[in-house]
Amino acid sequence: MNPQPFHGDVIQTLSMVVVITSVIAVEVRRLRFAAVAYSVQALLIVALLLSFAAINPALYWWAATALVTKAILTPYFLFRFIGATGDREIKPLIGFGPSVVVAAALMIAFYRLTHSQMSILAPTAMAQQEVFRVNLAVASTVFVLGLYCVLTRRDAVKTVIGLCLLENGVHLSLVSLAPELPETALFGVATEVVVTVFLLLYVIAGLRREFGTTDTFKLRELQC
Amino acid sequence: MSDLNATVSSSLPILAFTAPAVAGALVFLGRKLGRLYWQSFAIAGSAAVALVGVLMLPEVVAGRALVSWGEEFRVDGLSALLVLAIGLVGSLTAIYSVRYVAQPGLVSRLGGPAAERRLPVFYGLLLWFIASMAWGCVTNNIIMLYVAVEATTLASGLLVAFYWDRRALEAGYKYLMLLTIGITFALVGCVLIYASAAATGSLAGRQALLISEVRSVAPLIPARTALIAVAFLVIGFGTKAGIAPFHPWLPDAHAEAPTPISVLLSGVMIKMAAYALARTVSIFYPSLPQLTVFLVALGVFTMLLGILAALPQQDLKRLLAYSSVSQIGYVVVGVGLGTYLGCYGGLFHLLNHAFIKALLFMAVGAVIYATGVRRIADLGGLSQRMPLTAACFLVGALAIAGFPPLNGFMSKMTVYLALAQAGLWWAAVAAVLAGVLTMVVMVRAAVAVFWRAAPLDGGEKVVREVPAGMWAPMLGLAAACVVLGVFPQLAYPLLDQAAAVLATVGR
Repeated sequence: MNPQPFHGDVIQTLSMVVVITSVIAVEVRRLRFAAVAYSVQALLIVALLLSFAAINPALYWWAATALVTKAILTPYFLFRFIGATGDREIKPLIGFGPSVVVAAALMIAFYRLTHSQMSILAPTAMAQQEVFRVNLAVASTVFVLGLYCVLTRRDAVKTVIGLCLLENGVHLSLVSLAPELPETALFGVATEVVVTVFLLLYVIAGLRREFGTTDTFKLRELQC
Repeated sequence: MSDLNATVSSSLPILAFTAPAVAGALVFLGRKLGRLYWQSFAIAGSAAVALVGVLMLPEVVAGRALVSWGEEFRVDGLSALLVLAIGLVGSLTAIYSVRYVAQPGLVSRLGGPAAERRLPVFYGLLLWFIASMAWGCVTNNIIMLYVAVEATTLASGLLVAFYWDRRALEAGYKYLMLLTIGITFALVGCVLIYASAAATGSLAGRQALLISEVRSVAPLIPARTALIAVAFLVIGFGTKAGIAPFHPWLPDAHAEAPTPISVLLSGVMIKMAAYALARTVSIFYPSLPQLTVFLVALGVFTMLLGILAALPQQDLKRLLAYSSVSQIGYVVVGVGLGTYLGCYGGLFHLLNHAFIKALLFMAVGAVIYATGVRRIADLGGLSQRMPLTAACFLVGALAIAGFPPLNGFMSKMTVYLALAQAGLWWAAVAAVLAGVLTMVVMVRAAVAVFWRAAPLDGGEKVVREVPAGMWAPMLGLAAACVVLGVFPQLAYPLLDQAAAVLATVGR
């Protein structure tokens, strides 16, 4: 229970930067920058997993899987897609100013809520330690920011980035909630996200060809 | 109930999903070969699932669970019921599709060689879709359950968007996006269950991943954590199952997918999600009995909203899709009630609806095959030209409306009785009301399409009855609807075991 081997400070700092990259990925209007912010976040998550791996060697596997799926393949698909399209995001539902305020409010509220109410979310003795509390608070904050992004953005590419954030949030929480998850389960969970991103971008590419835009609000063929 | 924990080691659970998965891989490998090759593998692969389902029955009915790989895969009555439904509906769909895809313009609106090129993708994904559904029903690992449910989405995503035109792409995008968001919630729920089960300290290491083990420690999990987990699971698996208000993807996907895929989506995929929901949430029935009222309310809301949305539909496939939302409400009400009678009725309706909705979608597919039209207003008077399709559709329509002596009547009656027994009269009244509305919607559609005078446009192409390869599966399903209605006791041994898995009281 000695916090020393957890590199507590490193984990704290990395966690905060992960939250900041989420906000950037959600708010930045240029898709390429948003994808960069996402990639940075993916690398930070890998770094975080490596710091936690000091206490739980199983997490080395998780870090390696995350490196390949989140930090290499997903950004590759994103950049390949954005490279073939306009870089500007379709204007979202909420303007930039109010959106930053909402995101900040969500971030602070959720961080504080989960940090203080940890016993409900994770009834384990281990999760009561400060590093794990921070980890879970960050995980749920990233999750909520991803959900916010998915719900309010019109641009299909942005919703895919939001989906990735959503998944990142859940996967981060596995460090505290499910540290003994077998490699097969981790592998399955991580692989599916990449396949989902690939398929979604493939379908969105089809949409762009047929509709001439990635604006999801223009998808009105099926209104009854 | 005492022998619920008796297990027999067997390779059947693994075969249930590896057989179609391998067949699918072979179709992809042989994509240069002909249509005959792909279709034989599709039929063989899905028939293998049905065969495995049948082979599971003797042990399962005797109250023993089949396990393999430790307890990583575990088949009890509930799993066997789902595997059997997936296998039967899957193989009939594969047979039905042989002639359906041969009609120009149906599976690919591109026509000609382009259609032929995409056919192996169609059959390969179809087999993987069936495999992932079967996998989800046999796995005992709570995280793998999530992985399998998400795998069904991935395998079917491109099938929903198969036509690759504006409508199909929109449906495919919504399908992939909404279901992935939804299912991520389910992952949180699954992880919370695992974490809290491990934290009770009564299960060693990886035992906490096994759903069958988690059940035994559920009372030790703090109620607040359990409630949060259940909320996430209901949103997650509920989205996939088409429970209102998470259903908006369903009419789009079910209507725009090629008909054989609609059959699988409505016939078995949403059932498999309902299974995942029941399997995980029922863990907490004994410790949180107040859950049942919440689930019943959710189911009632779903069945009323679904059928009200179906009322004004002019598109036959959208009408059937909304009716599926409504019918899944009955399953949720029955299973959510948590009593033996409720679970029995809910699971019986799950099985019946798999057959009925597969039948109805196949019949609508036959109409589209013969006329190229699916708007009710543009159809009429088809009973003369297509007597078999008309008869099959009528049987399906009456069965889904709960008309005696068909199977839908038996299962709905069981749900009504279970609600009355539990004293939830408001829910029983709402369920009967939804049944009446279903009757209105379905019979009206049947009359309009098959018995009303044909609309005045003349000069139409000659409409003929569909080939035997298509009406034979429909006839089989219609026969199943009649037989299960007249002899509901045939399903008793299996349903009894399946209901006992979920039910906490009243057996």
